[in-house]
Formats: sequence, structure tokens, C-alpha cells
Amino acid sequence: MSHAPDRSGTWIGWAFFADLADGLALTFGYMFSRSVTMQYPDKEKWLPYSRYRGHHFLKRDEEGEIKCVACELCARICPCYCIEVIPYEDEKGNRRPAKFEIDMARCLFCGLCEDACPADAIALGQQYEFSSFSSRDLVVGRDDLLDKPGKATTGGGVVAARLNTEQDVLVETSEPQGYDWWRNIRRT
Amino acid sequence: MELVVALGLIAFKVALLIAILLLLPLPLTWVERKIAGHIQQRMGPMRVGWHGLLQPVADGIKLLTKEDHIPAEADRFLFKLAPILALAPPFVVFVAIPFGESISVLGHEITLYVSNMNVALLFVFAVIGIEVYGVIFGGWAANSKYAVLGSLRTCAQMISYEIPMGFAVIGVVMLAQSMSLLDIVRAQADVWNIVYQPVGFFVFFVAGLAEAQRIPFDLAEAEGDLGAGFHTEYSGIRFAFFMVSEYAVMLLVSVLSVILFFGGWNGVLIPLPPLLWFVLKVAFFVYLFMWFRFTFPRYRYDQLMAIGWKVLLPLSLANIIITGVAFL
Repeated sequence: MSHAPDRSGTWIGWAFFADLADGLALTFGYMFSRSVTMQYPDKEKWLPYSRYRGHHFLKRDEEGEIKCVACELCARICPCYCIEVIPYEDEKGNRRPAKFEIDMARCLFCGLCEDACPADAIALGQQYEFSSFSSRDLVVGRDDLLDKPGKATTGGGVVAARLNTEQDVLVETSEPQGYDWWRNIRRT
Repeated sequence: MELVVALGLIAFKVALLIAILLLLPLPLTWVERKIAGHIQQRMGPMRVGWHGLLQPVADGIKLLTKEDHIPAEADRFLFKLAPILALAPPFVVFVAIPFGESISVLGHEITLYVSNMNVALLFVFAVIGIEVYGVIFGGWAANSKYAVLGSLRTCAQMISYEIPMGFAVIGVVMLAQSMSLLDIVRAQADVWNIVYQPVGFFVFFVAGLAEAQRIPFDLAEAEGDLGAGFHTEYSGIRFAFFMVSEYAVMLLVSVLSVILFFGGWNGVLIPLPPLLWFVLKVAFFVYLFMWFRFTFPRYRYDQLMAIGWKVLLPLSLANIIITGVAFL
């Protein structure tokens, strides 16, 4: 595709509507170009990048114990006060969270909790499908946070997916890495 | 007995015609949305049926079950009358339009037209002129400023574009020596009128775009500045009537373009059944309408009037004079 030639001063082009013909040719070309629609959730799904800030998750150390030391720095730095931490002392004498709740309805996914954490215990992961009919269900506790998926390893692709509504609304992916969505963008 | 058969045949043809015209907008809305989607690199309707094929049915059910709202300050009688007035003329016009010569069914020759009027072209233009009443009544009865503005615009636009449209076909009538659409098509058996009347076709088609209220001349609706123009206050099935009428007029302008300028059911090169040729040509024009819609922006109102009176009218008059001189 080239840009329309300059027809200023040529009356023939003006008389035969060359500009209109150019416009029609352009839209005709677009008509037979590939669509950029991502057919989520029926057929396709987008995989987040590794830097994506989705649902929080809590990490475990090598022994499988929770990394969090319940210092409450995340709760302090949170701009919308959506984290609530109550510490306790476990059998080994370590400070651990007895309660670690995040109100996802209030979270703005800034990632400051992740930055503030001295123990590298909390991070924002790849999950982005956690809508709910009740805002009470959006308050997530410690044990749920430990089970949440972590950071994406690959990402930025569109993969084939399938909508599963049997138990919960789930969009299942079938391949680890998809195609680059930007490949279908038409550049002229 | 023969009279009964003839009457029955006419009744059957009319019923078939009405059924086709009422049902055709359904697939056409789907086609239009698909074309819109693909031109804008979207997919259009995809979820109801295969590639969204059942989307028009879903839309139809939605429109039928929607609240049929009449504004409190509206003129209730005119408000109810307007959609019917807008819907009837495009249907009536099709009575005069031939779709082919004849086909033989069970040994009987059945003509592919309801009536072969000797003034068919005049009838078409006379009846389609009535359509403007539906628009005016609709806009006036709704008692809304957007609707009134929309219908005022439509009124002025339709009246001023009907003149060049009528003049544009006079060249065709001169060539065919007849106003019967059947004779006009027969006269194009060898050479289509578009060869002799390119200017006439141009004027006719542009005026037809304006007559059908399609972009770039859809100032009656102009959703950006008028809400939805004359049918702003209409909802449910009454709104659907206006939509069906709009599609019927679009179809009518396509059919007239084919009959008057593109040889009707006369084919070229490829030997196809005449009816198929006709349908293919009409389909091309319908596509052209939709293609235009998603390519061009809307004209400004004063530009619209300037085009109608300062460009199309002189062009159509010049076309008549040149055709007449060439005939002499």
C-alpha cells in the first residue's frame, strides 16, 4: 500500500472522483485482510506477560513454608488499604501471618506490595479471571493466596482456548504458547 | 375459470413478493454487519449460529418483544400511521418491477412480473415519492426536536433528489422509446444503457443513494448530531418497520439501477440463467451500497443541497439534451 498520490491541480482526477476511488480501494483491501478480533472466551485467550500484574499470590520457601514474615509492610504501603495482616508465632518461633487477607475489590494492582516486601513473599501473578457476583467473595485469605498461580513464564501470545462453564466459568487453554496478536495488524 | 386461475396466480405472486421483501432484510442486516466488521478488521456477529447467521433472528425477536413506547406528547394516530406509510410504498413499487421474462412451470409459462405496465417507470417514481410522508409524519408525530429536524432534512433531501433522479432516467426512456420496464430491458439485449448513458447512471445512482438515505447522504439519521433522526422516538416493531422500509428502498434502487442501466437479466459472456444474472447484478449493487457506507463520511447539509441542485440537476438536464441531440 502506498499513500495516495498528490492530485492537486489535476482536474481529471477531480472530475472522475479519484479520491473516492482511492478510499473504496482501501476499504476493499481491508475487507479481505485478516481480522484482529481475539475470540475470547469462545476460541482464544490471551496469555499475560511475565511482568503482568494480576491476582496476588503468596510464595513458599524451599521447605514449603510460607515466606511471609508478617511484617505488614505491604499493608502499610498499600494505597487503598486492601491488605490486612495479623501475625503470630509458629512452633519454630518464626513470625508468620495468622491472617493474610487481600480485598481484591479494592486493589488497584499497582504492585507496591511486591516492591515493599522484604522477604520476597508476595507478588502479583498471571491470573486475571476472578470476577464474582459478590464483592465478599473477592476477599481472599492466606491459604487461597498460596494456591494462586504465579508469574507467567511465557506470554503475550494468543492461544486456542475453550470456555468451560460446568462448575465455574473457566477458560481452558490447550497450548503453552500462542501466536503474536500483533501479526494480524495491518500496517500501510 | 381462466380468470380465477389468473387472479390466483397474481395473488400468489404478490404474496411471494411480500414474503421475500419482508424476509430479505434479515440476511441483509447480517451481510451489512459482516461487511462493516471486516472492513474495520473485526469479525461482526459470530456467536449466534454459524458465523452469527442467526443474529438477525435474535434481533427480530428482540425487536418484537421490546416495549412499544409512544412518547406522552406524541400525536398517537400519526405516530402509529407513519411506520406503515413508510413501509407500504417500497412494497407497492415492486408490483411494477419485472424480474425476468418468464419461466415454464409444469408446462405453463409464468411471467416473472406481477404486471407489465406501460408507464411502469412513472408509477415507480410516483409511488416512491409517497414514502416521504412516512418520514415526515414520523418525525412530526414524535414531538421531539431531533425527530423534527431529521424529518425536515429528509423531506428537503428527498424532494430535491427526486428531480435529478427523474431527469436521469429520461435518457433511458428515450433510448427504449418506452416507459415499460420490460421494454427498457428488452432494448438493452445487445448493449447495456450504461454504455450510452454513463452520466445518466451517475446521476441516478447518486440520487438513489440520497433517496435510500444511505451514507454519504444519510442526513436524516445522522446519528452523530440528531440521535437517530426521524425515528429517534420509535422502538420495537415500529422501528423495525422503518428499518425494513430502508432496506426495501435500498433494494429498489439497486434493482432499478440494474433494470435501467445494466441490462436487467441480459447477461454477458457467461451464459447463466437470466434470473441468476439479475440476482447477481442486484447483489453487486447492494454490496456497493454497503461498501460506500463504511468508506465515506457523511456530507454536510448545505453540501448535500449544493450537490443536488448545482451539480446533479444541471448534469441530468445536459444529459437529456445531449441524448436528444444524438437521437436527432
